[in-house]
Amino acid sequence: MNLAATAPLEAARALRAGKAHVLVNVFAVAWATQRGDMLGGPGQFHAQERFKRNLEVPFGWFPQPVYFASIARRHMHEYGTRSEHLGEIAVAFRRHANRHPGAVMHGRELSLEQYLARPMLCDPLRVEDCCLISDGGAAFVMTSPERARDLAKPPVLATGVGEARSRTGTWWAQQPDFTATPQVFSAPRAFAMAGIAPGDVDVLTLYDPFTIAALMQIEDMGFCGKGEGGPFVAEGNLRFDGGSLPTNPHGGMLSHAYVLGIAHVVETVRQLRGEAHAQVPGARVGAYGGYTGHMASTLVLEKG
Amino acid sequence: MSEFPLPELEWEGTRPFWEAAAREALVIPRCDACAAWVWYPRECCGACQAEGLTWTPVSGRGTLFTWTVVHHAFAEPFAPLVPYATGLVALAEDPAVRLATLLVDCDPASLRVDQPVRALFRRLPYGGREVVAPLFTPA
Repeated sequence: MNLAATAPLEAARALRAGKAHVLVNVFAVAWATQRGDMLGGPGQFHAQERFKRNLEVPFGWFPQPVYFASIARRHMHEYGTRSEHLGEIAVAFRRHANRHPGAVMHGRELSLEQYLARPMLCDPLRVEDCCLISDGGAAFVMTSPERARDLAKPPVLATGVGEARSRTGTWWAQQPDFTATPQVFSAPRAFAMAGIAPGDVDVLTLYDPFTIAALMQIEDMGFCGKGEGGPFVAEGNLRFDGGSLPTNPHGGMLSHAYVLGIAHVVETVRQLRGEAHAQVPGARVGAYGGYTGHMASTLVLEKG
Repeated sequence: MSEFPLPELEWEGTRPFWEAAAREALVIPRCDACAAWVWYPRECCGACQAEGLTWTPVSGRGTLFTWTVVHHAFAEPFAPLVPYATGLVALAEDPAVRLATLLVDCDPASLRVDQPVRALFRRLPYGGREVVAPLFTPA
């Protein structure tokens, strides 16, 4: 989630210090095989935090779909966000996955009408608002720009990294700014390091455990005003072909696979090399937004 | 995880909360020095860093900050409850203090954000040891 964004910063330090010439960031997960009662998968992390175990779990406020359904309801109340807006995100990413042969949901289409007809999982979220549970892995290789230019593939440069934390950590229930993410701090740092503005981003990959998480990050990273994410996505802005902010052109965690963000960075690199499936024409600047509740991170990648 | 999803009644971090619930009382730590409410419980006050905190009764009144109606059992012990309404209540004493809770004795379809709610004490609806807990209902 966040290490996929910050790994290039660690790599740069190691390269400058002469500790390595080439580094590989690898991630793999087998939560589909382990899924059980969500107690070997993503829910376990939260069930093991003692205060949440004793003050939230006993009341059924557990696990992640319940947290984000609660956040979605509050976002709808505060900003007028509607189910149709969340559905636009699910539909956009599914459409992208339909063009990616490696995506789990490659052969399964989803229209907004179909989305709205689906039953609630934990309202206002439907199954289609929640990411996949997957077995999978990915990796990316990092080296100095000098070595990269000597290699067969076009180089993609990491030009900005940002990272930020919520002061209430993983105690989402107590987060004062309940409908925002630490992207409000992380993205400006990454963009400043890279010397770009949100409008310079040609292709975006976003950590999307839930549609509402993607919507909040779009707002918090500065691609639209706070609370305007619903109308922004409803205008078709996330489409790889013609949208003003092509997002998750591989399908994201919602429709490609849930490997916690590393596949997002891989997709961004492919987009900037012009070798992606749902290729954004002429993409030169890409950004990845990672987010895991208490922490957000941002990576800017640029065509070398 | 012992007796999941029942609370660990002997764990010092929240034992006063659950002991009070057994007496049908709702208590939250409060700073002896500056009177700030401290939630979730910590070693010292978040406002003034003083270390003297006292678990203090609250009225049980609050507003419904948010909730969701859960239609799927994410863990096996929740299955008999489905569908159930779970959410966060902002306490009247300090709306920054939010309690996770079950919403009971109401039609979930009629719930509204920020509506007044009040605590009532019920046995948690899981098998195993009987545990009385503060649940909430529209006021």
